[in-house]
Amino acid sequence: MAWTRARRRWAWALALVLAALALAVPLTLARRHEPATIGTPVNVLLDDFRVRHDASVVPAGTVSFRVLNQGPTTHEVIVVRTDRDSDKLPLQRDGLTVDEEGPGVELLDEVEGLNIDDRETLVLDLAAGDYVLYCNLEGHYLGGMHEALRVR
Amino acid sequence: MRRSGSAEVRAASATQRTAAGARSGIGRLVPRLPILGDLRLGRRLGWVIAVLIVLVAAIVGYNARAIDQQRGSALVVYTAARQRAFVERYTTDVLLVVDGFQADPEESAEDVREPVDVLLDGGSVRSPRGDGSRVEIPPARDWRVRRKLEQDRRLIDELIRTGDRLLDGGRDDPDHKANVTKLRVLSAQLSSVSNDAVREITQQTEASLSRLVRIGIALGLLSALAALALGLLLRRAGAEQAAQFRSLVNNSSDLITVLAPDGTIAYQSPSVQRVLGRRAADLLGTALGDLVHPDDRHDVSIALTKLVEAPGATANIGCRLQHKDGSWRHVESICTNLADDPRVNGLVLNIRDVTEQAALRKSIGDLLHNLARRSQGLVDRQLELIDELERNEVDPDRLDELFRMDHLATRMRRNVENLIVLSGVDQRRRWSESVPLRDVAEAAVAEVEDYSRVRVAGIHDLTLAGQAASDVAHLLAELVENATSFSSPTTWVEVSGGPTANGYVLEIEDHGIGMSDAELAEANRRLAAPLAADIADEARMMGFHVVGRLAARHGIRVQLRHGWFGGITALVLLPAVLLGSTGEQPAKAPPVPAGVMASSEALLLANTTKSGWQPRAHLPLRRHAAPGPSRGGEPDATAGAGEPAD
Repeated sequence: MAWTRARRRWAWALALVLAALALAVPLTLARRHEPATIGTPVNVLLDDFRVRHDASVVPAGTVSFRVLNQGPTTHEVIVVRTDRDSDKLPLQRDGLTVDEEGPGVELLDEVEGLNIDDRETLVLDLAAGDYVLYCNLEGHYLGGMHEALRVR
Repeated sequence: MRRSGSAEVRAASATQRTAAGARSGIGRLVPRLPILGDLRLGRRLGWVIAVLIVLVAAIVGYNARAIDQQRGSALVVYTAARQRAFVERYTTDVLLVVDGFQADPEESAEDVREPVDVLLDGGSVRSPRGDGSRVEIPPARDWRVRRKLEQDRRLIDELIRTGDRLLDGGRDDPDHKANVTKLRVLSAQLSSVSNDAVREITQQTEASLSRLVRIGIALGLLSALAALALGLLLRRAGAEQAAQFRSLVNNSSDLITVLAPDGTIAYQSPSVQRVLGRRAADLLGTALGDLVHPDDRHDVSIALTKLVEAPGATANIGCRLQHKDGSWRHVESICTNLADDPRVNGLVLNIRDVTEQAALRKSIGDLLHNLARRSQGLVDRQLELIDELERNEVDPDRLDELFRMDHLATRMRRNVENLIVLSGVDQRRRWSESVPLRDVAEAAVAEVEDYSRVRVAGIHDLTLAGQAASDVAHLLAELVENATSFSSPTTWVEVSGGPTANGYVLEIEDHGIGMSDAELAEANRRLAAPLAADIADEARMMGFHVVGRLAARHGIRVQLRHGWFGGITALVLLPAVLLGSTGEQPAKAPPVPAGVMASSEALLLANTTKSGWQPRAHLPLRRHAAPGPSRGGEPDATAGAGEPAD
């Protein structure tokens, strides 16, 4: 089959478009991972320098903490079981961060490195008891980033 | 043949126009690249080059942007890191002052504020080089970075307010401990926020650089593809042009031959098969001289030798080349010395087979010659008859009429001889012995109708080789005839001579209307190259061609110049090989007794009797006095000694 000039021109154009797509797709497509909620959902909002959630009491069992950092600073969320008040957690020697392995504190899990507008879901099986959610970056806990949660 | 050649030229021009027209669109915008030489850029090639240029420009631009971004990011990180250090120093200074130590928290407070202001709003900071210079930082553009920096600024304000409260209250302030704690917490928060901002900036930079690298790689790949396409297209264009050139060379009726410096054939176009019946490959390395007719070898050798000594020069060479079947082909060659061109390094000969033209020319020449010979016989008989009548006539009036008839017949005979000369047949009469040059000049003058206006003076006593005498007389007669025809009847035509370094020059000078520079150049061109003229031109300017051909037979050079006093001076340079010496000094023109005889006539008769040489069999016997140049019958006022008498 002889290639006419017009056909060759179209072939060139098609090759160029394909090349452009091959470049554009990896650069522009970004997948956002949104896991499904399991158990009791608890929406947790972080900002400078507060922790807020929409349910102070939740039933025992599986709890999904849907964390959204409104920033602007990067934060983390640590969940500990403790009988202490949320502002009475033991501090480390620097006096600025919580001693996560201190007395009366049981570390359950944490979410780190939440940048502004980042979302993350933390799923925990919680037994009945008192829990505290806090951010343990330098000065954040003492700045007020902690909140209590009761599980029945 | 000339019409056919013009048609070819027109066709070639049309092809070139078509080719130029095809180079449209972007192809026209892309300049002719020196690296491509004469390779024509097609439209597609132009597009590919344009795309390649754009891609390369994009790569360069992106690289420049990446470098600039990297430099800016390093500065920003450096500035943010300094801000952290300033916060720690301010906190320490406040606590030191509160504890009663010496420090300057106010200065530290200013240092704390500066970096974040610059990072947010743009400005200059001290250079990391530490030489005191300042460098500009652009304002942060990314919204995340800006949000973090704005938070940083708010915390700094609160830090300084807390510091101020501590400084104001001192250790006795009941809130002292709470303020110290808050100061330390704020300091820690600031450290955290600053770290966060630096990390964000770094991540942004890395992402940006990564993007730039990806784009750079993509552009590089596209450039490679474009370069590959360009290479393929150039190769194809080159192959097409080479094929076109090969086709032209192979199908041309002309031969293209390249001679190496040693005279052997370094390249021979395949068309030699058609022209000479030989394979091009068989001729490579052989000497061109082997193909040239033995009679032409000397001339060809001289012409090529001259050409070799002049790089870049061009020469026309005509000769005969031997066909494989043994026949001889007449060819005309345009030879160009391209020894200085490293791509050629030799002489390029564009050879055209003109055998048919030569045969045609020869047949026309033969026809001319036959006609001229018949006429010549008739004119000779006519002259013999007139001569006989003149010898028996005693009546002066009738004798005068016979003289006029004699002159007209003489002119007719010269015209016939001109035709014989132009026909290319050499049937001149030759004398074995040398004849006095002056006799030859006088004989030439005697053939001119207006001989009485011609003065021959100052010609040395030299002899001219016998084989050239007739042709020189004919040549001089044509020049003198030309001089008398194109000058006023009231003026003289002077024929004189003088020795030169390599021969003897005869001058024929008239005082006529002269010629324009262009006419003079054209006439000299015809005199110098009489063989190059065609028949139509010969008919129009027959005299110059006859002179040129006669001169060429004996190596005589003829040139026309503007005369000193108007008119034209014809210079005839006789080579030394044609001349001999009688050992006498140049003779002065003898004074002629008035009313007896014209000088030329007297000398003619004298020479005829002295040397016995009579170049024309039947020259008119001018026994009567010639009138000489006059105005309205009056004697020429400029005439001096030796002039013909009235």
